[in-house]
Amino acid sequence: MGSDGTILEARNLTKSYRLGNREVEALRGVSLRVRRGEFVALMGPSGSGKSTLLQLLGGLDRPTSGEVVLDGQVISRLGDAQATRLRREKTGFVFQFFNLIPLLDVYENVALPFTIAGVDPRHGDAAARIHAVLALVDLLGRERNRPDQLSAGEQQRVALARALVSRPAILLADEPTGNLDYASGGEILDELWRSCDELGQTIVLVTHDARAAAHADRVLVVGDGKIRDEIELGRRADRRAGPLIARLAQLGL
Amino acid sequence: MRRLSSLAWRSLGARSARSFLTIAGVALGVAVLFASLSAGSTMDAAVDRAAADEMGRAVLRVQALEERGFSSAAVHAAEQAVGVSVAAPALERQTYLAVSPSQTASAKLPAPVTVLGIDPVREIALHDMPLASGRLLTATDGQSALISETMASQERLGVGDSISLNGTVAAGPQPFRIVGIVQGDAPVPDAGGRLIFVPLASAQTLFGTTGVTRVDLGVQAGTSVNSLTNQLERTINSEPYLLSRQADLAGSLRTEMADFRSALLLVAAVVLFAGAFLIFNTLSMTVSERAREVGLLRAAGTTRSQVMSFVLLQALLLGVAGSVLGVLGGVCLAGLSLSWVQSAGPIALAAPAISAASIGIAIVVGLLVTLAAALEPAWRASRIPPVEALRRGPAAGVAGPARLRWLFLIFGVLGVAALAIWPGSSGGAVGTGGVAAGGSAMWGPLAVYGLFFLAVLLVPLLLGPLLRVAGIPFRVFRNEERLARSSLARDPSRTALTAGALVVGLAMVVALGTAAENVPKIGTAWLAETIPGSEVLTSIRPVSTTDPIRAELAAMPGVRSVSPIGLFGVPYQGVRQEAAAIVGRDYLADGRLVFVSDGGDRTAALTALDAGGSVVLPESLADQGGIHVGDELTFATGPSSARLRVAGIVAHSIPAGSQEAILIGWSDATDLFGVAGADFYAVRYASGQESSSRAALDAAAIQYAFEPSSLDRVQGAVGDALDRIFRLLDALALIAVLVAGLGLANTYSMSVLERVREIGVLRATGMSSRQVWGMVVVEAGLLGVFGAIVGAVVGLIAGALLVAWSSGGFGLAFEPPWVSIAVAVVFGVLVSIAASIYPAGLASRFSIVRALQHE
Ligand SMILES: Nc1ncnc2c1ncn2[C@@H]1O[C@H](COP(=O)(O)OP(=O)(O)OP(=O)(O)O)[C@@H](O)[C@H]1O
Ligand SMILES: [Mg+2]
Repeated sequence: MGSDGTILEARNLTKSYRLGNREVEALRGVSLRVRRGEFVALMGPSGSGKSTLLQLLGGLDRPTSGEVVLDGQVISRLGDAQATRLRREKTGFVFQFFNLIPLLDVYENVALPFTIAGVDPRHGDAAARIHAVLALVDLLGRERNRPDQLSAGEQQRVALARALVSRPAILLADEPTGNLDYASGGEILDELWRSCDELGQTIVLVTHDARAAAHADRVLVVGDGKIRDEIELGRRADRRAGPLIARLAQLGL
Repeated sequence: MRRLSSLAWRSLGARSARSFLTIAGVALGVAVLFASLSAGSTMDAAVDRAAADEMGRAVLRVQALEERGFSSAAVHAAEQAVGVSVAAPALERQTYLAVSPSQTASAKLPAPVTVLGIDPVREIALHDMPLASGRLLTATDGQSALISETMASQERLGVGDSISLNGTVAAGPQPFRIVGIVQGDAPVPDAGGRLIFVPLASAQTLFGTTGVTRVDLGVQAGTSVNSLTNQLERTINSEPYLLSRQADLAGSLRTEMADFRSALLLVAAVVLFAGAFLIFNTLSMTVSERAREVGLLRAAGTTRSQVMSFVLLQALLLGVAGSVLGVLGGVCLAGLSLSWVQSAGPIALAAPAISAASIGIAIVVGLLVTLAAALEPAWRASRIPPVEALRRGPAAGVAGPARLRWLFLIFGVLGVAALAIWPGSSGGAVGTGGVAAGGSAMWGPLAVYGLFFLAVLLVPLLLGPLLRVAGIPFRVFRNEERLARSSLARDPSRTALTAGALVVGLAMVVALGTAAENVPKIGTAWLAETIPGSEVLTSIRPVSTTDPIRAELAAMPGVRSVSPIGLFGVPYQGVRQEAAAIVGRDYLADGRLVFVSDGGDRTAALTALDAGGSVVLPESLADQGGIHVGDELTFATGPSSARLRVAGIVAHSIPAGSQEAILIGWSDATDLFGVAGADFYAVRYASGQESSSRAALDAAAIQYAFEPSSLDRVQGAVGDALDRIFRLLDALALIAVLVAGLGLANTYSMSVLERVREIGVLRATGMSSRQVWGMVVVEAGLLGVFGAIVGAVVGLIAGALLVAWSSGGFGLAFEPPWVSIAVAVVFGVLVSIAASIYPAGLASRFSIVRALQHE
């Protein structure tokens, strides 16, 4: 961790994909820093490289060049075993679609990080933590439900709970509200914000939606594989989207 | 759609590995079917050839039922029958080459030889005797002999050498000079190739008889065999005989092999069944994978029947490829199988017969099974609605019962095919009495087949509870086990179908193991119940009841009784019925022979046998003829037929041929049926004396040319041949497991591909690629253990059925075939796990990012 409280740092990241004999440059040199406890939103048009960037920040994929440092550890060149440990211990993910294992019930889905790590999720600290995150996302009492017995919003709250339960150094969310109606999306955003505000959870959120981005402390605007702009909003109780939309309009976005 | 076929081709090509596995599965099924058919027709051909060799140009064979053979009057009557052109009499006897004094010390008897006394001129008119060297016998020959090539090479004899044959005690060993060697084995099936032809008169002198054992008849052109038969029935009325045509001989030889052939077919059906599972699974997968594509086609105006024929066409392509490859593989498999079994019953088997018929049947059955398996997926594809094109994610699974429906179809197709190609039941009515022989050969395997079918239907119900049990060995991998178990339970009907093939294959292995383990024991138990002793001394020639040997042996230390038993045929209701002459008194001492509840009084019945005028019947025969104690049976022994009272009915009687013998007292046997003497002695030792006295008795017995063997050794000779057959069947059944393995590989790949997203999420949550690999492999292990458990149980039941079928209701302590169960469990689990290695590798190598993008 940097002395300034940086928990995540990207240095000059590039990523190109090979599609047949054509190279697609998804990222063309991205550098950024995220402070511990900060809530950062990545915005930008479709195909601008947001998801790619998020995957590199979370160690799901390797950059073509550049480095990612998470919690003092360079994670952009890890082998499979180390990368797996990193995912278990330091990162939590929420995706737009299909976050849950359909065969497992709510409790088991949330307990997955423990189960995978070989920790019995029915007892002790693990059980207490699962109880706490279920309370945070307001799903106590629904533990035995299967994913197909939940609404899309509830499913996404389960996914959020699972991502939070291992108390990751950083929570990475890729359009978690993209598939939800207005009200359910709002609930998820509130819960994200509360986890940040109350638990000090560091969050990187990818979104198209200014209303979602307005919950963040800082918004990074991604365009054509680069960070185009940075909007500092600061932590605040009023998370209406108005001011952010105005700023984006000022920037011509 | 014009280019339906090219679309079908491309669809198969797109999943070439899967198509290849499926073709391999069909090919294996067809190969086993073809091998089984080809082995069957090879046996048929061998039997026909043997029968043809034995009968030569003779149209009818008149065989004496009495051991002393026909009198010259009967031979004369046959000769004089209208329409007979040649009547060739012959006397057949077994004996030993007289051993030189230096050889007598040997503790083992040499192999016996069969002597055929012939009329040199008439015999050659009906039977070809191709010479390897020397000359044929002539009318003027006296102590001259022809020997078979096989015998010549075994004994290192040549033309001009002298041999000495043991005859009756009175006649002593007599010398014969070899004048010629006949090519090959020479045509007497039971002789094992060791055949010696001598002039009839010399043979009669050697064996101290004036009779002949058979007369072969050649007929003038235009003579009806039926009228000749009627004529003979009128003219030969003083001595019991058996008339047979070539077809009858072949038929009776064939019944001996019927069990083997039907077992082969059962195994082929099981392998095909497993192949059908494979086809069904493959096409189901293709259909659900391509649901969206099919939806698009439908939205673009493709009709339901076009969609259906598109799927059926794919099946047909798979079926044709598989069947053709299968026939090719089947040729090799048939050759391997036959060379492994070497012989079935008395007939040696040659190279496999490759007939157009068996090729045709194998291909047609292969295609029928393929199409039957494809019907359900094809129908399901045709029901895919056009809106499916708009759906996200994989197509929803179809409910279990709908999927299992197809099973009935395949079961039916295979059942009907099996009935259609069942080896024809034995030919002639004359010649075999047929006590429970023919029918059981078919119904046993059919019942087992039905049981397997039921088991597959039950698999979905057993899945939940049994998977927990199956998971126990995998508890070490707790998470993997948990995830794997729930993934298997996700689609019970697909899992059931996948496991079904495995269950059936493993059940077959265990069932065969059960039969292999227990059938020989039945034989031993049977002998133990019906032979009054623990050892038998077999003689190749009847030993007269007055022969002093018996008393001499009985007087040896430690020997309690030596009981003579003679096996012979009696003419009863127009057919030959096996009978055994016994000493009733010898059975009184111990509990042998179990009288059934309304089977009369034991003591009275056994005493009545010795007194004469009575018989004791085996229950099987009594039931068949509706005969009760006190009834009188009439035997056509001659002009005045013999009438004997049924004194008792026993649960089992002495086995003879494929029947159970009618028990008759010695006085009746010699007086009424012309039995010359005992074929073997049953020896009972004083309690605890067997081990100390046996060596001396055996040595003495060998001196008198008796072959001593304990009861289980008697069974052992049969058991060895049986063992080879069982092992062959086992190997073929393992092919079914292999085919099931191909199905498993398909299913595991499919289930991994369906779960790409899910695996991506698990990996993002911190599951290592090792764990993903483990999850898939544990899933396979679970299914393997599940299949092994169900397969072992079903196989035990099926095996018990098969054993019960051949046991004649013996209440044996049933011995589970631990080795087969172990083989089935290990092989089943290994095959299942092996099938998962590739899919597991695939799953563990998914890129997380790609997996998450996958839809
Ligand atoms: N696996 C891949 N193979 C090839 N090209 C890829 C791959 N993943 C992403 N791309 C390309 O990289 C570029 C950036 O994609 P990315 O998914 O990061 O964009 P995004 O900003 O998340 O877009 P959206 O808002 O639509 O999700 C796109 O042009 C995309 O086509
Ligand atoms: Mg994206």
